[in-house]
Amino acid sequence: MDRQQEYVLRTIEERDIRFVRLWFTDVLGALKSVAVAPAELEQAFVEGIGFDGSAIEGFTRVYEADMIVQPDAATFQVLPWRGDKPGTARMFCDIRMPDGRAAAADSRHVLRRALDSAGEDGFTFYTHPEIEFYLFKDPYEPGQPPVPLDHAGYFDHVARGDGHDFRRAAITLLEQMGISVEFSHHEGGPGQNEIDLRYADALSMADNIMTFRTVVREVALQHGAFASFMPKPLAEHPGSGMHTHLSLFEGDQNAFYEPTARYELSTVGRRFTAGVLRHAREICAVTNQWVNSYKRIWGGAEAPAHVCWGHNNRSALVRVPMYSIGKGHSRRVEIRSIDAACNPYLAFAVVLQAGLKGIREEYELPPEAEDDVWSLTPGERRAMGIAELPQSLGEAIAVMEDSELVAETLGESVFDFFLRNKRQEWADYRSQVTTFELDRYLVRL
Amino acid sequence: MTRPAGTAELLRSGFTDGERAGRLLEELVERCGAGHLEDRRRLLEEFAGVADPDQALLGVVRLVEADGELVDMVATPGPARQRLLAVLGASSALTDHLVHHPEQVHAVSERAPVDPAAIPRSVAPVVAAAEAPERAGEEDLERRGMDALRVAYREQLVRVVADDLTSEDPLAAMPPVAAVLADLAGAALQAATDLARALVPGSGGVRFAVVGLGKCGGQELNYVSDVDVIFLAEPDAGTSDDEAVRVGERLASTVMRVCHASTSEGTLWPVDAALRPEGKQGPLVRTLASHREYYRRWARTWEFQALLKARPVAGDLELAQEWCGMVRPLVWGAGSQPGFVEEVQGMRRRVEEQVPSAESDRQLKLGPGGLRDIEFSVQLLQLVHGRADETLRSGTTLEALAALRDGGYVGREDAAALDTSYRYLRVLEHRVQLHRMRRTHLMPADEASLRRLGRAVGERGEAAAAVLQRWRSHQREVRRLHERLFYRPLLVAVAQLSTDEVRLTPEAARERLAALGFRDPAGAMRHLEALTSGVSRRATIQRHLLPVMLGWFAGGADPDAGLLAFRRISETLGSTHWYLRMLRDEGTAAQRLAHVLSTSRYVVDLLIRSPETVALLGDQAGLQPPGAEVLAARMAAASRRHQEADAAFLAVRTVRARELLRVVLADLVGDLDQAGVRSALTALTDCLLQAALEVATRVVLDRRGEEQAVDLLVVGMGRLGGAELGYVSDADVMYVYRPRDWDEQTAQRAAAQAEDIIAELRRGLSKPGPDPTLELDAGLRPEGRSGPLVRSLESYQAYYARWSAGWESQALLRARPVAGDERLAAEYESLIDPLRWPEGGLEARTVREIRRLKARMEGERLPRGADRRTHFKLGYGGLSDVEWVVQLLQLEHGHEVAALRTTSTLVAMQAAVEAGLLSSDDAAALRRAWSLGSRLRDAGVLWRGRPVDSVPSDARDAEGISRIIGRGPGQGGELADEWRRTARRCRQVVERVFYGEEPGSGAGGP
Repeated sequence: MDRQQEYVLRTIEERDIRFVRLWFTDVLGALKSVAVAPAELEQAFVEGIGFDGSAIEGFTRVYEADMIVQPDAATFQVLPWRGDKPGTARMFCDIRMPDGRAAAADSRHVLRRALDSAGEDGFTFYTHPEIEFYLFKDPYEPGQPPVPLDHAGYFDHVARGDGHDFRRAAITLLEQMGISVEFSHHEGGPGQNEIDLRYADALSMADNIMTFRTVVREVALQHGAFASFMPKPLAEHPGSGMHTHLSLFEGDQNAFYEPTARYELSTVGRRFTAGVLRHAREICAVTNQWVNSYKRIWGGAEAPAHVCWGHNNRSALVRVPMYSIGKGHSRRVEIRSIDAACNPYLAFAVVLQAGLKGIREEYELPPEAEDDVWSLTPGERRAMGIAELPQSLGEAIAVMEDSELVAETLGESVFDFFLRNKRQEWADYRSQVTTFELDRYLVRL
Repeated sequence: MTRPAGTAELLRSGFTDGERAGRLLEELVERCGAGHLEDRRRLLEEFAGVADPDQALLGVVRLVEADGELVDMVATPGPARQRLLAVLGASSALTDHLVHHPEQVHAVSERAPVDPAAIPRSVAPVVAAAEAPERAGEEDLERRGMDALRVAYREQLVRVVADDLTSEDPLAAMPPVAAVLADLAGAALQAATDLARALVPGSGGVRFAVVGLGKCGGQELNYVSDVDVIFLAEPDAGTSDDEAVRVGERLASTVMRVCHASTSEGTLWPVDAALRPEGKQGPLVRTLASHREYYRRWARTWEFQALLKARPVAGDLELAQEWCGMVRPLVWGAGSQPGFVEEVQGMRRRVEEQVPSAESDRQLKLGPGGLRDIEFSVQLLQLVHGRADETLRSGTTLEALAALRDGGYVGREDAAALDTSYRYLRVLEHRVQLHRMRRTHLMPADEASLRRLGRAVGERGEAAAAVLQRWRSHQREVRRLHERLFYRPLLVAVAQLSTDEVRLTPEAARERLAALGFRDPAGAMRHLEALTSGVSRRATIQRHLLPVMLGWFAGGADPDAGLLAFRRISETLGSTHWYLRMLRDEGTAAQRLAHVLSTSRYVVDLLIRSPETVALLGDQAGLQPPGAEVLAARMAAASRRHQEADAAFLAVRTVRARELLRVVLADLVGDLDQAGVRSALTALTDCLLQAALEVATRVVLDRRGEEQAVDLLVVGMGRLGGAELGYVSDADVMYVYRPRDWDEQTAQRAAAQAEDIIAELRRGLSKPGPDPTLELDAGLRPEGRSGPLVRSLESYQAYYARWSAGWESQALLRARPVAGDERLAAEYESLIDPLRWPEGGLEARTVREIRRLKARMEGERLPRGADRRTHFKLGYGGLSDVEWVVQLLQLEHGHEVAALRTTSTLVAMQAAVEAGLLSSDDAAALRRAWSLGSRLRDAGVLWRGRPVDSVPSDARDAEGISRIIGRGPGQGGELADEWRRTARRCRQVVERVFYGEEPGSGAGGP
């Protein structure tokens, strides 16, 4: 038997765990949970647990509703905020069809397929996200602007800062769940925080991000606040992104590292970057999947609206960060468009496939952008061949519709569901009459 | 020896290079000294008995050179010298070994029992030294131990080889030789274990054992092969589990190294632990409990198959025995595991699959007719039946085969034949390996090696050719293995014949049928019984045929349906003189019948309606559909033979039934491609309509007692007009008439006749008959369903001039006269040509209207249960989408591009590409979707007997359809995705080309 599963069963007994939550993610990135008693767990490992998939966004057509969740023992963690005696634990699950096939709509499966594809070329994929989010005073009153928890700025140390306590508590919980935190600080906006997770393979990291969002929300509630990963909650303040550092490894060698190359970025790294750039527009609806996402992208300042790359250029879509001599294994590129409210499984899958396509088809990396791209005129940008990310979710959907890359990566049924769902969201959004319009037009027109 | 041997004499004795042999022989005589080697003829006789006399002679000379004391033995005739020469003549590797270790020559020459225990004894001094407190360097001790082990192992091995080579009957000697080789391997592993225990610190507190699997476990080892094992460790006296596993891993890797490392004394063989839980990824050593957990929860069927041969071989035998006791019930319970049947079928497929390699025709082991084939099949039967019958659980292939025979699971004669073939193939394999002591399973390719091999298995004269011939004939025997092992006993089980042979019990027969993929084994048993019981000629022939046919049914997507249909057809036709003879004698007829019956319910329905059409299968050339002229002549002739209306229609439709089946069979087992199927079906329908129109005309005129006052025309529309009918298509038609004269009376009579004739035509074709009813759909006529069914040409003229709507012009693009008066046809076409290919193309307004109409149709509800995303015909990127694209281009450009004036979708599409109206990439996407959609619809009809509109979500249906369109087994699950992908790409083109949208221009779309 799988030693990992033995370990899980033993731990549950030793630590007096009464409930095990089986977690999975729907197509839009919402976390779903089924609780089972430990006695059922053995069964769950062997045969999985049946549930009605048609109730979950994007999972099945109604007439093939039966699906099975099968826990992945390697993801077992006790949930520290649920108290010790008796305890609660969670595992992420794979979704299967009754005949044992992986369910097409399972986000983990989509990512796993992409990782397998990288594996065929000998690569493993590592990611390291910097997750931004806002803390607001609880509760949110609909109709009123949300009230940030503090009014500090980037890297500010906040005396008596609730945010400070908050971050300490959150990091403690994350570490208890085996998620290493690299870095945390106050971000640019009031009540905005950033926590960076230590790099891990993409599947574990996507699981970690799902856990992270839950932990952060739990801890915020304990501090009389609520946390939001909404990409752009406050018009006048920076949005919340999820800048993600990416690297490929071949065995234990960093495939992006080449000591003599410019910025120590190897040919593989350059082609990967070229792939991410060339396909950035078509994967945008996945990396930035909400109507609101585009308000962050087009919010100016450091937002990555333009498809270009630069060394340490904070306005570029892809940044090749500073490097320290001799730290070859940490060579990486940073993609800055992804936002904190994405489905991390799907987002990592499309970014990876875009990069792999660049490697396989030997894309040429365009010249580096050295200026602040926002300060260039549109004409200058056009002359330099710098494209723009979609202006809106509507445009992003239209671009994605014609993308073989995204269709192949997501599989036909997730692709189709995703498009339909997003078209609906876009249609719903367009039918709104906004405060902006009322303020500007109602009296004047 | 007084004079040198003559070259001719030497050649007669089997030497190939007489001159060289003569020289060597002289040298040998010289070395042996005068007075020795008196009996020259006896010596040559003894050389003549060995596999390779030249090699043996050289070997002897080298031996005597190496050790002068051997002279006496070499000079003395008799069994001792014979044994030595046999070994030298068969193995150059062992010759080298003996030259290196002349002290072991006695082991060859003296006939003494093999003593495996001598091998562990040989390392005892090293073990003692290692355990002594002032132990020397570990490296050195390990090397000494390994050398001692190798030398001792070879000393025993050469004894076995000498016994084997000089045995009276090598086939009889094969099982004991293989068993003793397994014992030697076990003894070597024991010695390696002793050594490892002495070398690995801390091994005192750990119980450690080696279980043999595969041929080692089954006591049927080769001379040289990987030895498959599983290592066990258990804590002893206060050690922890983790500690035990840690030390166990070191012990195990030491054992592997000790056996496999190359030293100055060579190597033994690789020890392979890949059959352990989790394979190469898993830990090398596990405890008993950990094994139990793994096997109970995780192991797959093939793993149990590997464990079937498990046997304790070295180390703590008690522990190993305990382990074997633990896995045994699991192995024999494997048959009740979920998914067993699927896995067994998968395994069977893998076994039957040809090994794709340049050497496949030299393989003794892999591929059909190889050793692996026998071993695997026997194991499969053991797993299927061994659950209930404990006598079947031997780990040795031949013993298991004998037990299967004794239990009635395999026929007595079949078992005997297989037993002989297995032994022969193994002996060949042993002899091939002996030559260089290499792990090989290939027949040699060069003449000299083949000659040696042939002589080694007792061939003389043209030894190389003879051994090849004999090998091939055994291979052929084994190829019929599945029939013999799997299927024939099933028939014996149901046949009510008195025979003294033990029979398969009904339970066992059902188990076996289930394992072969029959979902209703009890039903299958009933069919078999019905087919084979009794003493009639029919039953006798079927008993003979069915073992083979069962295998073919089992290979189809629906074995149960195939067998049932075969029963029904045989019951109808069994008493005819030709049916069974055809199946028995016509080569592939039976195979094709089994294939189509287990693949297509549509075929079954057709055959049940008119069973005698089975005769088509007897003749490959008969599957070529005849041309339209031949068809028309046949139908006309058939109808003319009958005066009465019903009889005449029946005659025509009987011809159609037969021809339809011909098309279907050619589609499924012949080489008719998709375009061929579509044009054959169209030609068939054209001819049917023509013949039926003639019959109806004749009948109506007779009935009315009138002269013919009217000319009639049937115009095909839709897919019929496009000459692209599938199995599913209705025939869209319109009827046109013209009075033969213009006076009022004739005109009135003409109208009445036309109505009567068309009514008679429809009646005659819509009655139940020998063929599936052809639905005639006249819904595309002017004014649709509310308009008159039959109109005069003038009426059409007037209608088109005044009323015609845009969609009618579009429908007319595919109008093609299919039956009736030719002049009328020409006039009708010249009437509609200006409508369908309007001069100057379309106005922008009309284009807009057509687009709007299409968009509105897309917005309307589909038929119940249909899904716009998956529907073959009306879904996004489906058939209708493609046709609208092509038709719009035809309407716009038909007037200027002559090649567009065709009713065929694909031809028009190609014309559009050539005229630069459509890019070839776009056309390719459209064509792919249209072809795949058409094919899937047809395959759906073939599989289920009725149309399907999208890829079925039922896995069995999807699999059946997937097989019909030519994909390999087990790929049905991907079919739905494939259609959606193809249709999506097609839809992108449709939106761009038909609706004129720029790519990515908005979030519109479906």
